[in-house]
Amino acid sequence: MKRNTVVLFVVLFLLAAFAWAGWANWESRRQAAARAAAMSAPADLVMPGGEGDLPPTIAPLINKPAPNFTLEDVHGKKVSLDAYKGKAVLINFWATWCGPCKIETPWLVDLRNQYAPKGFEILAVSEDDLDPGDKQKLKEETQQIASFAQQMHMDYPVLLGGDAVTQPYGGLDSLPTSFFVDRSGKVVAAQVGLTSKDEIEGNIRKALGGQS
Amino acid sequence: MSVFCRRTCLTGLALLAAGLACAQTQFPWQSEGASHAGKAASVVYLFPEQVEVTAGKPSTVQMHFRVAQGLHINSHTPKDSYLIPTVFSIPSGAAVQLKGASYPAGAEFTLPVDPSTKLSVYTGEFVITAQIVAQRGNHLMQGTLHYQACDNNACMPPKTIPVVMDVVGK
Repeated sequence: MKRNTVVLFVVLFLLAAFAWAGWANWESRRQAAARAAAMSAPADLVMPGGEGDLPPTIAPLINKPAPNFTLEDVHGKKVSLDAYKGKAVLINFWATWCGPCKIETPWLVDLRNQYAPKGFEILAVSEDDLDPGDKQKLKEETQQIASFAQQMHMDYPVLLGGDAVTQPYGGLDSLPTSFFVDRSGKVVAAQVGLTSKDEIEGNIRKALGGQS
Repeated sequence: MSVFCRRTCLTGLALLAAGLACAQTQFPWQSEGASHAGKAASVVYLFPEQVEVTAGKPSTVQMHFRVAQGLHINSHTPKDSYLIPTVFSIPSGAAVQLKGASYPAGAEFTLPVDPSTKLSVYTGEFVITAQIVAQRGNHLMQGTLHYQACDNNACMPPKTIPVVMDVVGK
């Protein structure tokens, strides 16, 4: 009788152990499948609107002084962000190869024409690759960017070598990315990816201090 | 304790150990990649990992790539000169030489906010057919694929990924 009870307990223990092992195995495979599904999920370069949804590298810049930079424009003139203190500035990181940038550029041109009299300026920082070691190639690349800017009627400073200033602005994984700087030099808003003309205009107004 | 009970207990412990081992084992169908969750690459080289070619003669190799879901890359012949084409290359002077490459035609694509602008892109899986020449012996072909990826609202900077393949010249 006593032996039979022990055997019964052992059998029950073994059954429980098998049930647990089976569950652990199934759970492990389920988690692996979920990870695999996440890996193949649609890549999303653009964060949904709103400051809380900005990439973690960019969000900390909000309400902080915009990192200063000095870059050459397509005409060889040095342009410094600090020189625009007192104006609201949209720093627009873009590239000639960026389709969504090309779509938003006419909106930026319109908004710049509309708000420039109120003290607004755009600094377009090109992320196009440059070859500073090859003078001829550099000249051609600069000319290509200048031609593009002219075609798109970008009558505001178009700056070269944006790669040099991307780190203080959060690394910039995707384009277009824009930062809206108020008259005191503080970043008041940022946008990653193509949004809408209305959203850009709202942030320009914010940078101008609520003026319309 | 009787022999029967001892045997039953030992068998039980052995089965338990086997069950625990099974629970921790990564089975062949559980891919290695799945255990390293992370940001998906825009484009990955799929296969072949090894090819056998006739030594000293041009041979055709079909290289399969996959663009991550939700992204597109420009085809080899984008419609706008400012766009960056997808290009496969092998460094000159390498043991495996690239004699030429043919690319698939791009699929016509428009961004939802700009239906008037037609793009020529690759999405999903695509195949580049390369003509390579390798001398006799085993060689590690270290090619690259240069591309630039976007989704409907934003673009990533151009990128170059390695395309590595064992080439056996016979």
